[in-house]
Amino acid sequence: MLSTRALGLAPALRQAAFSPARNHILRTVIRSSIIKRSVQTQSLKPEDGTTILNTQRLQRPSSPHFTIYEPQLTWIGSIFNRVTGVGLGFLLYGFSLAYLVAPGTFDSTHVIEFVGGLPDVVKYAGKFILALPFTFHSWNGIRHLLWDSGKFLTVKGAYSTGYAVLGATAISTIVLMFQ
Amino acid sequence: MSVLSQAARRFVKASVVDARTFTTSTRRLQAEPLQKPVLNKEFKIYRWNPDEPAKKPTLQSYTIDLNQTGPMILDALIKIKNEIDPTLTFRRSCREGICGSCAMNINGQNTLACLCRIDRDASKDSKIYPLPHMYIVKDLVPDLTQFYKQYKSIQPYLQNDNPPEKGEFLQSQEERRKLDGLYECILCACCSTSCPSYWWNQDEYLGPATLMQAYRWIADSRDSNGAKRKEYLQNELSMYRCHTIFNCSRTCPKGLNPAAAIAKIKLELAAD
Amino acid sequence: MSSSLILRSTLSKALIKSSLIRSSTQVRQSTSDRFAYVPGGPIYKGTVNDPTTFPPPSKTHGSYHWAFERLVSAALVPMTVAAFATSGTNYPIFDGILGLTLIIHSHIGFDSSAVDYLHPRKFSVLGPIVKWTLRAATVGTMVGVYQFNTNDIGLTELIAKVWAA
Repeated sequence: MLSTRALGLAPALRQAAFSPARNHILRTVIRSSIIKRSVQTQSLKPEDGTTILNTQRLQRPSSPHFTIYEPQLTWIGSIFNRVTGVGLGFLLYGFSLAYLVAPGTFDSTHVIEFVGGLPDVVKYAGKFILALPFTFHSWNGIRHLLWDSGKFLTVKGAYSTGYAVLGATAISTIVLMFQ
Repeated sequence: MSVLSQAARRFVKASVVDARTFTTSTRRLQAEPLQKPVLNKEFKIYRWNPDEPAKKPTLQSYTIDLNQTGPMILDALIKIKNEIDPTLTFRRSCREGICGSCAMNINGQNTLACLCRIDRDASKDSKIYPLPHMYIVKDLVPDLTQFYKQYKSIQPYLQNDNPPEKGEFLQSQEERRKLDGLYECILCACCSTSCPSYWWNQDEYLGPATLMQAYRWIADSRDSNGAKRKEYLQNELSMYRCHTIFNCSRTCPKGLNPAAAIAKIKLELAAD
Repeated sequence: MSSSLILRSTLSKALIKSSLIRSSTQVRQSTSDRFAYVPGGPIYKGTVNDPTTFPPPSKTHGSYHWAFERLVSAALVPMTVAAFATSGTNYPIFDGILGLTLIIHSHIGFDSSAVDYLHPRKFSVLGPIVKWTLRAATVGTMVGVYQFNTNDIGLTELIAKVWAA
């Protein structure tokens, strides 16, 4: 098979096979290709199989994953849950450690004074940047707790609760922004 | 004379009618086969050849006439392999969604090529990749060795040291119903390779397919090895890398629900 | 010049000798180094017919950890609602418990991310660094929050006032 493909004889062979008149051509073609192909064999020990396989394995590429996978509410929501959680955690850790190191600069009066002096646009933007992750992570956390207690464990349930979380996040973010 | 002429007229009339019916019937019999218009669609397929390992994997484009192709993606692949490029390599066997061989990533979703209809919108191309984050043997053929080794690790067979004295294990209808939606899995690996946790940690994390089969045997009333089966999963990697992302259930071509099965194992382990 | 030549020749002789010995006795070892098992790599432990193995069972890393994680998260639900309804200064103990719960919740979340993306079995240097940095940071944060809640106005009050500022 391989040799016929390499020699580009596949179509000729297929044609020849269907017309009995050309059978002698087929025979000569096969004979000549066999003569041309000087096969050399190489004896290998059984354990060499692993070596050959492992040599091939080391060359194998890894197929693409998140770059080609369709963005779906399932995994995009999940990664957003983690990103928002890590972000909020960094804020908590960052502020607490900063206060531990320099209680004079990061005390409440200074922080409130600093935020109070910011222009309104920055205040609203800041509230949005804080409220969105907080509300999403909170609502989605409740969704996870429902799943963990055995509820909404279907694709339909995952999607309806997912959209509910998105809606609740939007509403509560807007409410918090104008508090 | 009048009788004759009447007869002649009748004959003429009859022959006219006959002739008409005859011609129409021949036209119907010899109806031209409907010439379907050409509907060319582009398929972009992931290619990598182990004989040229240094060459980076590429997307190769093939255009075929959808009106000369079967309805499924697998039909398109077979047509391309038969008529355009015999070197295109993919796994297939049953062509009816029961063997799980033709699992691949089609337009961003893992599914079986034989169960996935071709989108007849010819203005959009179809992208076909192998299952995500797997080592590639060639083109659309991933190395599933690790997947099968993991399936073997959960001991997917009935274990019971006290078989009934005579006859077979008996189950109530309710006990049997627990296995519905679990035993139908064909191990195509669509779910496991859609799971981001499996992408990052597949050397230790078992993945949704294997975990659902683990639950299949934990839930079986005839199996008495449940405690041991659960104990195997008591570590941070084998099962608890599942973060209920739901990609597995979303993508399963058989409509099964691995995410729910894993959630049930977690609840059972917490109750232990 | 001559000394270097001598050195080179003896060196090359030694090299040839050692490579000869290696080639005659340690063929298998040199190939097994190339095919050493790397977690997540294309080389697998054992043959294709051997099942994968499980780590030693530990409920602390398994179900207890999972249940504790859910318990902390579930506790945060009513506490968050309460924090919106009351002011922190009136209930300093509640404020302290909320801060501690938030830190534990954050620590588990960070730790879970580190296990997912930077596990020591794959990242032998960076993995342990991240793990221990996180532990130190968590302890530091606990002290920081304790200081802030005792010497200053407390977390909930701060958030409320910053929000109104």
